Amino acid sequence: MDNQQQLPPPGPTGHGDEVEVRILTPHIAQPHFPTMQVTGYGLSLAITLIAFAMVAYHWIGLDTLVTVLVVMAFIQGALQLGIFMHLREAKGTLWHLPVLALALFIGIGIVGFSMWIMLFKSGVS
Amino acid sequence: MTMNPWILHLMKRLFPPQVLLPDIIGIDIGLTIAAIAAIVFLTKTKRWGWLWREWITTVDHKKIGIMYLLAALVMLFRGGVDALMIRTQLIAPHQHFMSAQQYDEVFTTHGTVMIFFMAMPMVFALFNAAVPLMIGARDVAFPRLNAISFWLFAFGAILLNISFSIGGSPDAGWMSYPPYSELMFDPGVGENYFLLSLQVAGIGTIATGINFLVTVLRLRAPGMTLTRMPIFAWSALITSSLILFAFPPLTVALGLTMLDRIFGASFFTLGHQGMPMMYANLFWIFGHPEVYILIMPPFGIFSEVVPTFSKKPLFGYEAMVASLLAISILSYGTWVHHFFEMGAGPGVNSFFGLSTMLIAIPTGVKMFNWIFTMWGGRIRITVPMLWQLAFVPTFVVGGATGVMLATVPADYQYHNSYFMIAHFHNVILGGTVFGLLSGLYYWWPKMFGWKLNHRQGVWACLLFVVGFWLTFMPQYFLGFQGMTRRMSSYPPGLGWTALNFWSTIGAYVMGVGFLIMVYNIIWSRIHPDWDTTGDPWDARTLEWSLPSPAPEYNFARIPQVHSRDEWWEMKQEGRTDEVKISEKTVHAIHMPRNTPMPVLLALAFFVGSIGMVFEWFWLAILGGLGVVAALAYGSFANYSEKEISRDTILQTEAQLGRLES
Repeated sequence: MDNQQQLPPPGPTGHGDEVEVRILTPHIAQPHFPTMQVTGYGLSLAITLIAFAMVAYHWIGLDTLVTVLVVMAFIQGALQLGIFMHLREAKGTLWHLPVLALALFIGIGIVGFSMWIMLFKSGVS
Repeated sequence: MTMNPWILHLMKRLFPPQVLLPDIIGIDIGLTIAAIAAIVFLTKTKRWGWLWREWITTVDHKKIGIMYLLAALVMLFRGGVDALMIRTQLIAPHQHFMSAQQYDEVFTTHGTVMIFFMAMPMVFALFNAAVPLMIGARDVAFPRLNAISFWLFAFGAILLNISFSIGGSPDAGWMSYPPYSELMFDPGVGENYFLLSLQVAGIGTIATGINFLVTVLRLRAPGMTLTRMPIFAWSALITSSLILFAFPPLTVALGLTMLDRIFGASFFTLGHQGMPMMYANLFWIFGHPEVYILIMPPFGIFSEVVPTFSKKPLFGYEAMVASLLAISILSYGTWVHHFFEMGAGPGVNSFFGLSTMLIAIPTGVKMFNWIFTMWGGRIRITVPMLWQLAFVPTFVVGGATGVMLATVPADYQYHNSYFMIAHFHNVILGGTVFGLLSGLYYWWPKMFGWKLNHRQGVWACLLFVVGFWLTFMPQYFLGFQGMTRRMSSYPPGLGWTALNFWSTIGAYVMGVGFLIMVYNIIWSRIHPDWDTTGDPWDARTLEWSLPSPAPEYNFARIPQVHSRDEWWEMKQEGRTDEVKISEKTVHAIHMPRNTPMPVLLALAFFVGSIGMVFEWFWLAILGGLGVVAALAYGSFANYSEKEISRDTILQTEAQLGRLES
């Protein structure tokens, strides 16, 4: 691809800020049938459809529904990150960890605050 | 003669009465003539191939930056004309320069164009022009994605801009709050244009965010640690992370509204348990970080401009970085201050009022940093510096009125009055636009190789700044006297007439300032003051160690960085010959190859969006297939890089006088 030439070579770059974590050492896949990706794609589609069906056909009560949806959202996020977003293919500095932490922080903040802000609606309508 | 009813129906849909006003038809004719003239010019001078090879298919960040800049200036003109139309309507009571419907359309386009199609691309123009050069990189991390971003933005802008002559403009304000923006109250295609154009441009914006996040983190020259990075690169990093987290809520809000309007869903409708206020919530989760996305880059620009023209290192580098980080986190916890009146209760409102006031602290820190950088320095009043000096009082007033608006009980009075209008123009026009224009004058020689005339630039700046204060100061008082935003006319006898009159005069003065700026650019192009040194401002950061404009590969040899203002240190220590190369140190360079895929992808998005706007689903599906085809072509095409050979580099550098003797 058009950007590969420009990545700095692996190993120390002289920045002095690399972190080494064993579980995140590179797992660059060999060319074979992408079983994991296809399974992940199927799973994420299934989770989306189940979530949609639960809302559309009122399978369970509202309070349980919200809990189940939030849990499913986290599973969905983990699937995307782990299988499609190259989370385990770190090389050198772990730049993605602080960004991920920030994403989690902001995501939880947005959802939590929005629920808090919109609570008043239940008293109005 | 009877017309085919199908064609009659189509014509009615494409040209409803609201686009058949005499002034719009006049503009249509003018634009058509201009387009024919452009086509004739390109054909006569045989420049189609040049246009295709050098610009349309380019992946070079410097050229993409120039295209962003030109598009942003055109959009500044368009949004400015809208602003002048608004002010002309309000110059006196009971004016009927425009109908109320057209007035609504004009203020909606003014806001949308200025935020999404003027300020954002100008930010990206300066990112593209300066960031890779100042961190010592040969291009951005994903050059092809960069081109995709630009073309998505361009086609999004075209989509919004054709709405006024084909189908009708959106008219629900730049926020497009439901329930008014829903089909029940606002039929027609205008709102669809708004939703689709922002969606298409938004994809490009998110991609740019990812691109610059990776560029700044991964492509810095050896030795340039995070704490040695220029502040503008820091601001690019933080702006990118804000974009990454702020735009998805907008995508969701626009997507759900589109489902409501086109497919009969009821997320934000009044009936069927829709929650219109959820749109406001989602929109401002995006909208508040968005204003920081707009103001962070100017903060970075000033942090380059002030040290350069004060001949001093930036005061409080660490405090500057810390306050940028603090603003980026805090900006996610303030969005409710845009709708305190929704009725969320005292707990929610006081939390968000307090968090809003907190954000003034890191912003104040930055103000003091710039002032202390100037303190005791040898200040040169150049045009970029002049814009900075104009910015300081403007932004302080804007910030102070912001804290006033954050006071929840008082906000019940100020909300949606002209006080609020004056406040956000004070920070967005007086902050973002002043900053971007400062950056435009600062990096112009680096982008084009010639400087902009100083005297004309000073006149443009002075007129613009005087016009700015004359326009917006009266509006604070109009707000106190009860004038609300978006009024298309007002009766006499309310004490508003004189204030409105002076406000309009101020807007005209700003218009003259803009025209002088355009004249400045054209005049300086005809009588170019070539920058032969590459360092016309005696500046501090790495981009000025390169010739203007930089060669395609930027750095023949990637520099080794030892300190914060590396180029300044080199000049101080007499090491400037370090940037020269010899036959021993030069290697062949791999660069990405031009590709038509980005423009084709964006074109497919455009076609599909037209299909969605007019609800011609066959066209939407066709566009969708085009997107898939372009992506597949992009994935499977052979992208072997082109190689710039050693000899070519040696030849280029010798012409630029950068070979070691």
